[in-house]
Amino acid sequence: MAEYYGWAGKILRVDLTTGEITTQDDAKYHKYIGGMGMAYRIMYEEAPMDLDPYDEKAQVIFGVGPLTGAGVPCSGRMNVTFRSTWSKGSSIIDAHMGGHIGPMLKYAGWDGIVITGISEKPVYLRIEDDEVSLEDASDIWGKGTFASNKWMVEQNGREFETASIGPAGENLVDYSTLNTSFGNSGGAGLGAAMGNKKLKGLAIRGTGSVKVADPKKVLELSNYMMGNLIGGNNNHNVPAQPQSWAEYSATSGKNRWSGAPGRMWKKAPGGPVDTGEQPYNDINKIALRCFKGYFDFGAPAAEYTVKNGGCSSCPIRCYTEYDVDPLADYDLPTHNSNTCMPVLYGTRVYPDGVHDFKYEGDGTMVINLAWSHAVDDMGLWDNYGNLNRDLLWILRMPREEATKYISEEEYDSLPWAWEKAGDPRWEVELIRRMAYGEGDLSVIAKGTLAMMEKFGLPKSWLDRTDGATNSNLMYNGFPNHHGPAEAWQVGMLYNLVYNRDCMIHEIVCETGSGAPYEVTKKVMEDFFGEGCYDKAKAYTPINENKAKLAAYCVNDKNFHDSATLCNWMWPMTQSPSKERAYHGDLDLQADFMTAVTGETYTQAGLQEAGERITQMLRAMTAISFQKNCGSANLRQEHDAICDWVFDKEPDFKAFEEGTTKLDRADMEKAKDLFYDIFGWDKTTGVPTRETLEKFDLGDMADDLEARGIYDQTPAGETAASEAAAQ
Amino acid sequence: MAKTDFLTADMTRRQFMKISGKSLAGLTLSASMLSLFGCSQKQVDSGAVATWALPQGLLVVNADLCTGCQRCEINCTLTNDGVCSSYISRVKIQRRLNLDGAGNGLLSGNDNCFVYFPDTCRQCEDPACGNACPQKAITTNAQGIRVVDTDKCIGCGACHEACPWHMPTVNPETGKSSKCIACGACVAGCPSGALSIVDWDAVTSAAQAAYMDL
Repeated sequence: MAEYYGWAGKILRVDLTTGEITTQDDAKYHKYIGGMGMAYRIMYEEAPMDLDPYDEKAQVIFGVGPLTGAGVPCSGRMNVTFRSTWSKGSSIIDAHMGGHIGPMLKYAGWDGIVITGISEKPVYLRIEDDEVSLEDASDIWGKGTFASNKWMVEQNGREFETASIGPAGENLVDYSTLNTSFGNSGGAGLGAAMGNKKLKGLAIRGTGSVKVADPKKVLELSNYMMGNLIGGNNNHNVPAQPQSWAEYSATSGKNRWSGAPGRMWKKAPGGPVDTGEQPYNDINKIALRCFKGYFDFGAPAAEYTVKNGGCSSCPIRCYTEYDVDPLADYDLPTHNSNTCMPVLYGTRVYPDGVHDFKYEGDGTMVINLAWSHAVDDMGLWDNYGNLNRDLLWILRMPREEATKYISEEEYDSLPWAWEKAGDPRWEVELIRRMAYGEGDLSVIAKGTLAMMEKFGLPKSWLDRTDGATNSNLMYNGFPNHHGPAEAWQVGMLYNLVYNRDCMIHEIVCETGSGAPYEVTKKVMEDFFGEGCYDKAKAYTPINENKAKLAAYCVNDKNFHDSATLCNWMWPMTQSPSKERAYHGDLDLQADFMTAVTGETYTQAGLQEAGERITQMLRAMTAISFQKNCGSANLRQEHDAICDWVFDKEPDFKAFEEGTTKLDRADMEKAKDLFYDIFGWDKTTGVPTRETLEKFDLGDMADDLEARGIYDQTPAGETAASEAAAQ
Repeated sequence: MAKTDFLTADMTRRQFMKISGKSLAGLTLSASMLSLFGCSQKQVDSGAVATWALPQGLLVVNADLCTGCQRCEINCTLTNDGVCSSYISRVKIQRRLNLDGAGNGLLSGNDNCFVYFPDTCRQCEDPACGNACPQKAITTNAQGIRVVDTDKCIGCGACHEACPWHMPTVNPETGKSSKCIACGACVAGCPSGALSIVDWDAVTSAAQAAYMDL
């Protein structure tokens, strides 16, 4: 194998049917960066979208990139590519994991693992540098992810990083995860994709290194980033509370830079730790900036916090680690940690509300932390809250209405007394039923679309304006995730691209930063052009710079999941530094690529590399939609927007101050601009031959042509002309 | 200890070397000393704080502040090896994160889930690593730091085996022992302040001030 800077230079191929394990030089994939980009190219070439997601030949591809494990701050990510079983079109999809396992894969000498085949018996993949083997996992098949990960470490040694699926994945529950470290997971049905292959998990130890072309430069750039550019979690660039060194604090008093004098980690073994002030240029206090628990739950969080945690290489510690002792009264684990959806939505399954446990106002927190541990242990995904929203929709119905959907026997078997009492065992029991596929209710964990089909709900069910039980932006089975409510038309446009929620944080990191609007607007307009950055609830009609910004976000995110960098932190758009007029440095990620790989990269080059991935995604989505939905007209079949986005808040018209609703005709114009930027046919939303050839993807153009996708005639008038006619 | 034990930085260092290898639990520190170490008496009492007497100052490791980010390992290896690695790092946190062999770590499933902290080289006065080296490749330099002479090192791993904490590690890519040279890169880049080095003159002044208060 050739030696590279950044890239390990080889990928691992594992056929679970035959047990064959081989090695492949991966230089030919370097133009796809790594991670997501590399996996898309491999899957396109080897496991066409025609395959059933559970076909023996279907692939699960673990991918890291040149920056993973190279010491770049916030680079501890691993991307996993596979096929969706629950969103419309059964198309290509990714899960994204933090923790410590991605860098460890690099230290073991691998840029990726391509898994094919189906094992006869449960196995886990053991990697110790070049020694790779499939090991018997029958002792942990059926066990939760915490016990399984512990077992794998005990079996192999404490220097191993592990990841495990839980019962949800084993039982082919579509909403399932792969879990690593403590609460770090990749979702989107990855658990079931592995469960179908009888692959319980991974155990990896690497004694090697990531070679970097210019180590001094990597250190210099890291110090520059940590001393001048980085903010709090989501790169929020002003502290939530006033600090003596800071010109600004969050205008709302709240953001994810939530550590502050008097805000304590009260359950630290050696007594309370005051998170104190964290001047922006003090590298040794960065880890105290984010106090995610305080952001999520306010003062009660401090009572239960032990310390902060997070991923390898990242100075921003977005996981709060708790000891929630009231849960011991219910025989539930008290040590819990997560940063995202698992700690935010547990209370949704308590239509009668929750109560305080030990401290005033701690009810939401205790219930959510019980949810977090239970879903992480079962390896159950929530599809960014659709699991909780769909459960709430039915759980809050009167018995006679709910039993139209689930049997009376099942309804009466639910431990309702626990729900009424706000008992955390209620949610744990619901989670168990979901993870084991028990009863009619568990169809909810097969996906919103599967639930709608089973319950006979019409497509218009997704048009409802009840935000508590419906936030689906499109008709594809996944919800709003940083969409138009935070990012106007830009948020709607970038949500159109993927086959799951978009996982794009480029804009919400700015709108949620807490800096005064005018300060952030100046930064954004200096980087992305006039008129790109609307004020909260005071939106303006679409313009070209907004469409360009949306396209930038898509390409940037795709680069991040390929490099790999954390998209919650990168790019460095804003800075906490007054001296910099709060401007970050968008070129820094390219500078890191150059320093690590020794090849010259520019931000424009990274956009091009990211767009190559965008085009592959779009072409592969068209193929899967043609096969599974009968039409590859993505404008109609994939990019249609639910009515509530335009019809909510009836007292307002779009673009009036006070609403985040969008306008139909304006949004169709926005799609026209967006498609134009990406070189997609305006009628079908499919990349043209010229576009694909521009990105050296001529073989994909040939494929689309051979499949007749370029010949397709829209089934009727386009949405754009419909809207124009209104 | 008497006030006269802290008349010079060198004397102070020797006093602290006596307690190296243990946590500070059981010692009552003055307010100025606590401020200097960035910790509380309760943290000292709980065993969360350990100190190691390095030639250039007192290394303070505060387990309650460690958030497991591995930046100490990153900065160590980029600085000293020109590559990024965990295994050969001279400061080691990864091996304590999941299960540390003493009942702590994220996967322990008990009350010590969130107890993890970096292991550091102690720069021992009587170094087991150096004593065990068949090539006499580990020597003391002018600053009093025990360093590996890579020309002599044959990568046999005797230093790794002999060290009670297995801190020196043979780099599988170079075949040489990667032993800590107390460069301070891990401390400088620690984003939580879990690692710090306090200059001996400052420790001496604080120790003297404490005795003045008595």
